[in-house]
Amino acid sequence: MNKTPKHFRNYLFIFCVFASVFFVSNSGAAEGGPCKDYGECDKFKYSLNDIESLQRGASTYINYCYGCHSLQYSRWGRVATDLQIPEDIFFENLVFDKSIKPGDLMTGSMPAEESAKWFGVAPPDLTLVSRYKGDDWIFSYLRAYYEDASKQYGVNNLVYPGTAMPNVLMALQGNQRLICKDMPVIAANGGEKRDDLGNPITTEKCGYLEVEEGTGQLSKEEFDSLIYDLTNFLVYVGEPSKAIRERIGWYVVFYFLIFTALSSLLYREFHKDYNH
Amino acid sequence: MSQMAGKLFSWVNSRLPIVNTFERHLSKHPVPSKVNFWYLFGALAAVTLIIQIVSGIWLIMPYSNTEEQAFSSIEYIMRDVDYGWVIRYIHTTGASLFFAVVYLHMFRGLLYGSYQKPKELVWIFGCTIYLAMMAEGFLGYVLPYGQMSYWGAQVIISLFGAIPYIGESLELWVRGDYYISGITVSRFFALHVVALPLVLIALVFLHLVALHEVGAGNPEGVDIEEYLDDDGVPLDSVPFFPYKVLNALVAIGVFMTVFSIIMFFFPEGGGYFIEMANFQEANPLVTPEHIAPVWYYAPFYTMLRAIPDPLGGLIVMAAAVAIFFVVPWLDRSKVASIRYKGIYSKIALTMFGVSFLTLGYLGTVGVTEIRKTMSVVCTIMYFAYFLLMPIYTKYESTMEVPKRL
Repeated sequence: MNKTPKHFRNYLFIFCVFASVFFVSNSGAAEGGPCKDYGECDKFKYSLNDIESLQRGASTYINYCYGCHSLQYSRWGRVATDLQIPEDIFFENLVFDKSIKPGDLMTGSMPAEESAKWFGVAPPDLTLVSRYKGDDWIFSYLRAYYEDASKQYGVNNLVYPGTAMPNVLMALQGNQRLICKDMPVIAANGGEKRDDLGNPITTEKCGYLEVEEGTGQLSKEEFDSLIYDLTNFLVYVGEPSKAIRERIGWYVVFYFLIFTALSSLLYREFHKDYNH
Repeated sequence: MSQMAGKLFSWVNSRLPIVNTFERHLSKHPVPSKVNFWYLFGALAAVTLIIQIVSGIWLIMPYSNTEEQAFSSIEYIMRDVDYGWVIRYIHTTGASLFFAVVYLHMFRGLLYGSYQKPKELVWIFGCTIYLAMMAEGFLGYVLPYGQMSYWGAQVIISLFGAIPYIGESLELWVRGDYYISGITVSRFFALHVVALPLVLIALVFLHLVALHEVGAGNPEGVDIEEYLDDDGVPLDSVPFFPYKVLNALVAIGVFMTVFSIIMFFFPEGGGYFIEMANFQEANPLVTPEHIAPVWYYAPFYTMLRAIPDPLGGLIVMAAAVAIFFVVPWLDRSKVASIRYKGIYSKIALTMFGVSFLTLGYLGTVGVTEIRKTMSVVCTIMYFAYFLLMPIYTKYESTMEVPKRL
């Protein structure tokens, strides 16, 4: 009856066959990533327990984004509560229309039809953007604008080429441009290639983003951290119960582990009845 | 007090067969004493069905089946309904795990010949359950009315259009409109929450009644009815209650641990359980970059794509599901279990497993030349397992099956 090692070999065999199938199928399948010309999206790690980051993100969103982008499934009061902002302070500083009540949805103020005329496309609602685009994408997108005089608003984006949105945060970030750099040539053995005199051989590579010094109010680090907070806020607003979900999850999993342990002890006890 | 309770119980019992049913189907129902983990997925499928029904009832309450509100009512559930997100994630995770468990349950059937005489009807009811589940899953996926709901439904409903002569009118009849609209959503809602659950429950009932009539199998393929004790109970059996119930309880514990890890930490399942594009409201004017089905339909979707002609693709896809129904008559082997079958059966089943998983993987990714070739090869391998079964099971040499478990 004890055939475990043999079974294990069978499963291992099937796994190996499938793994090789997987590799064969991926050969020559160079699918463009979601971040397009930017290459790999920058990795974003949300921190929904960092309330201050969420508060800063909410403030940036309402000041710079909410004019065009509604959050139509989210309610003002819920944001204030979840972000631990006292309601009076919240409504005084972040809600500009005084007729709004805490239970109201954040439906935005820009008429969709008019805005479609202004921008060519109506600015989308962003409540769920972190869920259909992903946080990595947002984090990369907002930092990938560059100067491009051929475009309507003078800017283009590596992550979303031809984006209809102007770089609203340009005053903070400064003027970012696409530049070319001399990069060392890498030899087959992984080291830098050098000429006979020992100087590194370089080649010009393009597509690097660089901010023109002194044009922005924030340093690169400050700007990145601003975008981090903003993205973090969008992750929160995409699923306000995410933080509590991950907190409760541990208890539920722990409960079922105990449940499994106790039921297997009980099973073993009864198993003795017929399996001596 | 206890005397009164006893009296009441015997009053009810003489009018309703409580004790009889309990004994016949639980405490005196004999099941093979030695089975392995493959035999636990049936119980898990039953548990998942109950989870889906209960969570579904709670989802119906705040859900709105209109074109304007379907999508936003889901967000209302996720945000404004107290613990609505728990109920919804239970339902979405449950849907994927229901299919996972049923696929493993079906594979167990192929592995140990659970369709062989006299279990043909058990198998056929099972296949019908699977068919009903596929319909139920598809209808449910349309209800949130996201981009993938809309475009997935577009693809599936247009399949009806590939049927000659009646295709176009059938397509219109299913959709209820000239394009997918609120009318489609509300009829799918009715079918998803009333019609198909009734069908599923009825089929599960028949599946179990038929199973209890012929008795459960075991991984050795031994007929336990051959050796009985003085009371006519098979020697190699134990009563279902409490022994197998406790065994199932351990499996349920493990299953629920996996279930809660997914629903609390990875509810989207990396885009395989809830697709990212479905967080955007349905938009008839914008086609998503690539339309992929949820993972559990992916193998059949790949077969559909592998055939260039729409009608041909539809026939192949339908045949891939339909062929399960005739497996009891394709297998000519003298033995039930893969343990005692010959080498050809083992190779064929492995090839089937690999082709099914590969087809599944290919259905979730974009098409390239090599993948196209692979999907054709895997489709052929998939069908070869079934179509060659009468030959390899009949002529291969099998091993001696032991008399006792």
